Amino acid sequence: MALPRHIYSALEDIVGPENISDDPAVLDSYRYSLAHTAIHVGPYYDTFTPRGLAVLLPGSTEEVQAIVRLCNRYRIKFKASSTFWSAQGYPSGDNTIQLDMRRMDRILEIDEKNLFAVVEPGVIGATLQAEAMKVGLNTHIPGSGCSCSVLASATSYFGSGPSNLYGGWYYDNLLGVEWVMPTGEILRTGALGAGCGWFCGEGPGPSVRGVFRGLTGAKGAMGVFTKCAIKLFPWPGPDKLPVEGTVPAYRVSLPENFRAYTLAFPSWKAWADAVYLIWDAGIGYTAHRQFNMFGRDLKYAMVKILTDPTRTLGDLEELLADPEVQRVTEESRRDFQIVLAGMTPRDLEWQERALDEILARTGGWKVEAMNAPEIHDWTLLYLIRLGHKNLNLVYGGGYDGCFGLFGVPDFGTLHVEEAGEFKKEWEKQGAIVAAGGDCMMGPIGGQGGGGTCLWENFTHFDPHDRESVEGTREFFDACSEFGLKKGWGVGMEKWNAAAIGPDGRTPPKEVRDRIHLSAPQPSIYRYQSKIRKALNPNNLGDAYYETLDDD
Amino acid sequence: MDEKQARLREIVGESAVQEAPGLEEPSSLAPTLIPPLRPHLLVRPKSVDEVQRVVLWANQTQTPLVPVSSGPPHLRGDSLPTAPEAVIVDLSGMKRVLKVDRRNRLALIEPGVTYGQLQSELQKHGLRVIMPLLPRNSKSVLAALLEREPPISPRYHWNMLEPLRSLEIVWGNGDKLYSGSGIYRGERDEDWQEGRVPVWGAGPGQLDYYRLVSAAQGTMGIVTWASVKCEVLPQVHRLFLTPAARLEELLDFTYKLLRFRLGDELFIVNSTSLAMILARQPEEVPSLRDTLPAWAVVIGVTGGEILPGERAQTQESDIRDLAQGFGLPLLPAVPGCRGSDLLKLLSHPSEEPYWKIRYKGGMQEIFFLTPLERTPAYVATMLTAANNHRYSALDIGIYIQPVHQGVCCHCEFILPFDRKSQTEVQRARELFCDASLQLFQQKAFFSRPYGIWAPWAYNADAQTTAVLRKVKEIFDPNHILNPGKLCF
Amino acid sequence: MPLEDFAGEMDRCSQCSYCKWIPFDQMKSWRFAKNCPSIAYHNFNSYSARGRYAVARSLIRGQIDYTDTLRRIVFTCLTCGSCDVSCKICRYNLEPLEMVRELKFRAVEDGQGLDAHRAVIESLNSEQNTMSQPRARRGDWADGLDVPRLPAEKAEVVFHAGCRFSYDPDLQATARAAVTLLKNVGVRIGIMGERELCCGGRVYSMGYRDAFTRFAQANVKAWANAGVRMVVTSCADGYHAFKRLYPRLGLQMEVLHTVELIARLIEEGKIQFRSPVPMTVTYHDPCHLGRQGEPYVPWDGVEKKILNQIVVYEPRRPRYNGAWGIYDPPRQVLRSIPGVELVEMERIREYSWCCGAGGGMREAYPEFSLWTARERIAEARATGAEALVSACPWCERNFTDAVGTLGEPMPVYDIVDLVQKALL
Repeated sequence: MALPRHIYSALEDIVGPENISDDPAVLDSYRYSLAHTAIHVGPYYDTFTPRGLAVLLPGSTEEVQAIVRLCNRYRIKFKASSTFWSAQGYPSGDNTIQLDMRRMDRILEIDEKNLFAVVEPGVIGATLQAEAMKVGLNTHIPGSGCSCSVLASATSYFGSGPSNLYGGWYYDNLLGVEWVMPTGEILRTGALGAGCGWFCGEGPGPSVRGVFRGLTGAKGAMGVFTKCAIKLFPWPGPDKLPVEGTVPAYRVSLPENFRAYTLAFPSWKAWADAVYLIWDAGIGYTAHRQFNMFGRDLKYAMVKILTDPTRTLGDLEELLADPEVQRVTEESRRDFQIVLAGMTPRDLEWQERALDEILARTGGWKVEAMNAPEIHDWTLLYLIRLGHKNLNLVYGGGYDGCFGLFGVPDFGTLHVEEAGEFKKEWEKQGAIVAAGGDCMMGPIGGQGGGGTCLWENFTHFDPHDRESVEGTREFFDACSEFGLKKGWGVGMEKWNAAAIGPDGRTPPKEVRDRIHLSAPQPSIYRYQSKIRKALNPNNLGDAYYETLDDD
Repeated sequence: MDEKQARLREIVGESAVQEAPGLEEPSSLAPTLIPPLRPHLLVRPKSVDEVQRVVLWANQTQTPLVPVSSGPPHLRGDSLPTAPEAVIVDLSGMKRVLKVDRRNRLALIEPGVTYGQLQSELQKHGLRVIMPLLPRNSKSVLAALLEREPPISPRYHWNMLEPLRSLEIVWGNGDKLYSGSGIYRGERDEDWQEGRVPVWGAGPGQLDYYRLVSAAQGTMGIVTWASVKCEVLPQVHRLFLTPAARLEELLDFTYKLLRFRLGDELFIVNSTSLAMILARQPEEVPSLRDTLPAWAVVIGVTGGEILPGERAQTQESDIRDLAQGFGLPLLPAVPGCRGSDLLKLLSHPSEEPYWKIRYKGGMQEIFFLTPLERTPAYVATMLTAANNHRYSALDIGIYIQPVHQGVCCHCEFILPFDRKSQTEVQRARELFCDASLQLFQQKAFFSRPYGIWAPWAYNADAQTTAVLRKVKEIFDPNHILNPGKLCF
Repeated sequence: MPLEDFAGEMDRCSQCSYCKWIPFDQMKSWRFAKNCPSIAYHNFNSYSARGRYAVARSLIRGQIDYTDTLRRIVFTCLTCGSCDVSCKICRYNLEPLEMVRELKFRAVEDGQGLDAHRAVIESLNSEQNTMSQPRARRGDWADGLDVPRLPAEKAEVVFHAGCRFSYDPDLQATARAAVTLLKNVGVRIGIMGERELCCGGRVYSMGYRDAFTRFAQANVKAWANAGVRMVVTSCADGYHAFKRLYPRLGLQMEVLHTVELIARLIEEGKIQFRSPVPMTVTYHDPCHLGRQGEPYVPWDGVEKKILNQIVVYEPRRPRYNGAWGIYDPPRQVLRSIPGVELVEMERIREYSWCCGAGGGMREAYPEFSLWTARERIAEARATGAEALVSACPWCERNFTDAVGTLGEPMPVYDIVDLVQKALL
C-alpha cells in the first residue's frame, strides 16, 4: 500500500518537504535485516522488517503531535525510533509511518547541582556523557552502547548497562518525561506536569509513568517520547577524556583515582560470593562481565587484537596458539571487569583495600595480564564510554543473546556452566562461532546498587551465510526447549517472538496468545491490553507492545 | 446483624469483623479539613485470599473499602472514609515477616509489619532497612514505602520507590497480581537458595504496577506482601552535625555531599524539628530549641561488612575535608544534641508520643518535593505566612530530606498545635490552608496530594488526571477502593 | 570489485550507526560529535554508510529503481572516509568506503551520473583537467619559475601541481612557493608544466573509474618516461591518488606530500625559519592526506572463515582505518614555525570533519558542499584560532568560499603559505 497523496501532503505540510520521504531507496534504509541480529526473535535469513509507508523527520514536539493526530484521523500506524539500534525500533507491521527522531537531538539542560540532564530523543549516551563530564558529572550508558538514544533506552526499552551499579540504570534514573500519547495529547509526568520542573517523574499520587514503562518500555508502540530528564552521577575525572593511542586501540590514562580490573575466581560460588560482597561494600563505579562476550576461549586473544592497532582478526588463530594467551585465557574463565573510581584519593584507597579483602575472602584474583598499561587503559575507556559495543558483531556481523539467566547471582552462577556446555555442543555443528560455549556477559549489578545480574550468552554467526543463520535459529529453538526443561523459562533468544516472526511481521494472534498464555502471569498482557485500549484506542502502534485479548 | 456484616463474617471469621468502629481522636487537621464519615464496619483479613474475597464482595455490593495497615495516630486523612457505608480493611494484623534473605538482602513482609518489628528481625541477620525520619511506632513499613515516604539515607534511594521491590497486589477489581519479580515469592526454601527471589521492583512486562499503587492512598489496590531491599547493618555507625545559623549556609555543602554520595543518613533540620525529636517531654521543646543551632545537617557515616572501621573513617575524613572547604564544622555534638544520642533515636521508630505531636499533642504537616536550592524561598514563604496568621514561626518544625540521591528533596513543615485549643486549631488550620496554597503557587510539587491538596494538584495537571482516571477504570472499575481521595 | 561482491558486507553491516559519528571514544562535545556530512545534512538514514549498504542491497536485488532521490543518496557521499574509520572501530571485515565508491561506479555505469559531473568528465576528456580550463594554460601558474620542465629537462623529483593549483588564481602562489622553497633547499625538483595531467582522483570519487584509470596510466607512463624517482604534491587529492590508487596500476615510485617533505627537511636542518609568524592557527586534516593517506599495501586474497563463522582473509588483508595517515608532519611543520601557536579542533586526524569539496560535491551539490565547509569553520572558530590552515587546495578553496558566505572573516592558509612567511 502506498500512502495516499493527500495524506502525504498533509504530513509534508507538518514537517516540510525536506523532512519526509516515501522514496523506496529511503524506505529500504529504514528496514532491518533479521538475518543480521534479530534481537531476540530469530534470526531469519533474508528477512527484513516491513517497508514503511513514509519516513518523517519531525523537528519538534508540536510536529510530532500534529503527525500523531493526523495518524489518528486516518488510522495510520506510526512508529518512532531515535537511533535504530535494534529490530525493535522498526515496525513489526505493514502500512506504518516511521518517525526518525534524529533531528530532535538537543541537550536542553544539564542541571549540575541537581544532577540531571534534559534531553531530546536524538541525544546519545556519548554526547550526553561528553557534555556532563565538562561539569564533573556522568550519565549511565546502556549495554547497547553509547551510540544509542538516552531517551529511547530510558523511556522505551530496558536501559541496563555496566554503570547500573553506581550510576543506576535508566529505569532508576528517568525523571520527568514529555510524552505525545498515542492519541496526540501531551502528558508530562510528575513535577513537570505540575509546572514545577523536571526533577521528579512521579505523581501527583500514583505515578502515571507506570503506564508507559515497566521492566521494559513500550518499544515505540505507544506514542512518542519527545523529551525526558535523566539523573546523572558524579564523574571524578577530567572534563574531557584524555584519549591516546592509535585507532582503534584507543585508551585513556586517567588520574590515580581510577582503576580497571579483571577479576577471576576459582569457582562460580566464589564468583557469586565476591559479587555479593562488592554490593555489600558499596564499591565499584562500573562492573560488567564484558569481554567474555567474545567467548571464554577467545576473549584474551581478542583483547590482544583490540589493543594492538596492527592486529586484525586474521591474527586470532596465531594468538590462540600462544601458550601465554592460553594461560591467561584459562586464568580468566570465571571473570568480570570492574572499574573503581574514587571520589577522593582516600575513597579509592579504601575501595582498593575492600576489593583486596573481598578477593582474599573468596579466593579470587586480579588477572595480571589485564593490568598491562595498554590493556588497563583500553579497558577503562571501553567501560566508561562504551564506545566499542558493536564488537558484539565483530566476528561475522551477527550476534544475539540466548538464555539470559536474569536474576540474582546465585541464579546465574548455578546454571552458567550447564548453559555454556549446552552451547558448546552446538558450536561443534559449525553454524555458530566456536567460542568456548560460555559467552555469558552482562552487568554486575542489574540495577542501582546491585542485587541482580543479567547473563546473556552471546551467540555469534554470519548473517550472510544461510546455513549459519538457520543453524543459529535451530540452536535458539533448542535453547528455549532446554531452558523450559531446566525450569529457567524461555530465554532472551525468544523475548520478542510474540512481536515479530519469520516474515519480519507480527505473528498471528493465536501464536501471540499461545506465547502470552505460557507466561508465568498471563494477566500482565491482559492489563497491557486494557491500557492499550484505554490510551491507544485506534491501536496505532505495533505488536512490540504485547497484549493478550482472550476475555 | 446486617447482611453485609454476615457475609464479611463468613469471609474473615466472626472475630475479625468489628461493627461501627468509630473514628480515632484526631491528631492532625485532616478531619477538620475534609470531614470523614463514620465507617460501617471494620474487617481484619488474615490472608490474601480473604482480602481478595472481601474485595470481590465489595464489588458485588458496591461497598467502599478503606485499606489501612498502620495503627493510630493516622495523620493525613487518607485512611478516613469519605464515602458512606465504608468498610475499613485493617491489615495491621497481617504482620508476619515472611522471610529475611541475608545474601540477597531482601525481606518479605506483610502489610502490618512495623519498622520496629522489621528492624529487630533484620538485625538478627545483620541487616537493616532504611527508614523515614523516626516513623511512628505503629507505622506499617509497607504503607510508608507505598506512600513514597522519603528515607533518611538518600544514597540508597536509587529511585523514588526504593527500597520497595516486588508486591502481591489485590486490585480493586479483585484480581491478584505479582508485580516486579513477585512471581518468585519464595514459597519454597529451594527457591531462595537457587536465587528465584522477588528482587525486582519493576514490571513485570511493560507496565510498572507498583508505581500505579504507589502514593495511591489505597485507591488502586491492596498490597498483601512486599519484598523490601535491605542494607547491611553497620558495625561502625557515627552521626555528625554541621550547624549553621542560616539554611542557605548549608546548601552548597549538602549539594556536594549528595554529589559524591558522602554520608549515609543525610538530612537538614531546624532547631524546632530537632528539639521535637530530642525532647522527652513537651515542655523541653522550647528550651532545647533555644539551645540547638538554628539549622543542622545531620550526617551519618557507616561501615559494614567489609573493613567497617576504615570505611567509616574514610567517609568521615572526606566529609570533614569537604566541610572545611565550605568553612563549616563537622561535629560529633552541638549544644543540646550529641550525635550518638540522635543516632540511637534514628535507628528505631519514634518513641511515644510520636515526635511530631510530642510538643503540643497535635500537628499538621505540609510537605512537597523541590530542588534543594529552592528551599530557602519556601521557608521564607512559610515563615511569612506564619507571621501573617499570628502563628509562632519558632514553633514550626522544618525537615529537608534529600531524595533520589540528591535530584530533589522532600521539604516538610510541621505545624504543632494544641488540639484541645480551638484557637490554636483554627489558627493552624488557616495557616495550613493559606501556606499550602502559597507554596503550591510557588511551584512546590505536591507529589503526594493528601486532603485539600488533591484537587489543586489534579486541576493543575489535566492530562495526568485523565490518564489516572483511565487507569482507575481498569484496576478498580467500580470505584470501591477508598472513594473520594485523589481524583476519584 | 563489482557491487555484487559487496553483498556479504551488505548483510554483515552491523546496522549500528557508528558510521554517523566520530569514534565515540574521541567525542568531546555534543556540537562536534558527528562525522559524516552527508547524513548530518540530509538526516535520512539512507545518507549514511549504513543506509547506503541497505540501498545498495536493494539496488542489486532489483527492489528499487533509480530516482532523483536515489541519485542524490549515491552522489552526496563525499567519499571522505569518515564512516570507514568509525565503522572499523569495531569491525575488521567491512569496507564501507570501498562499497560506496563501488555504488557510485555502478550508478555511472548504469547511466545515472549527474550532469554536473559529466561536465567535469567532458572537460577532462577535452582539456585533461577538471576545471573546464584550456589545457594550454595548465603550466601558466609556474611562469617564471626557474625549475626544470619535464620531460624535456631532467629532475629527480616531480612536483605535481594538480588541477586546482594549476588553474585557481587565488592559490597558484602557494604552488609556486612550494616549488621555490623545495628548490631553494636543494631538492632537485621539476614540473610537468602544461604537459601535466589531472591525477584522476576527483573523477574517481565522482564514480568515473574508467576515466581515472586512463589518466592514472598516462601519468605513470609520463613519469617513467621522465625518469623521476619521486612525486611530490601539495594537493591531498593528488597525494591520495598517487599513494593509494596508482600503485594498483603499477606506480612504484615514492610519493610525498609537500608537508612530509618539508617536515623532513626541517628535521634535517635544511629549512630554518627566520621570521616569526605570530598567529594562532588550527589545522584541518584533509581526508585524502589524513585517514585516506595511508600507504597502499598489495593484497590479492580471498575471504575465509575460522572457528566456524569468523570472517577473515587469506592471506591477511591490509587494514585501512586511518591509523597510519599523514597527521604528524603538518603539525610538526606548524609547530616549528616561530610564533605559530597550533590549537586543535575537536575532530582531528582520522576523525576529522571533511571540508565538503570532495566526491564531486562542489560541482553537483554546492549548497551542501558549502554547508559542510561552514560546519568546519564553526569548529575552527570554536578553538579561538585566528586562521584555518590546511594542506590541500580543494579544502582551501571550499573553506574560502564558505567564509565568503559568512559575515565574519576567517583567513584560510595552506601550510606552505605560513612556511613561506617564516622564511622571509
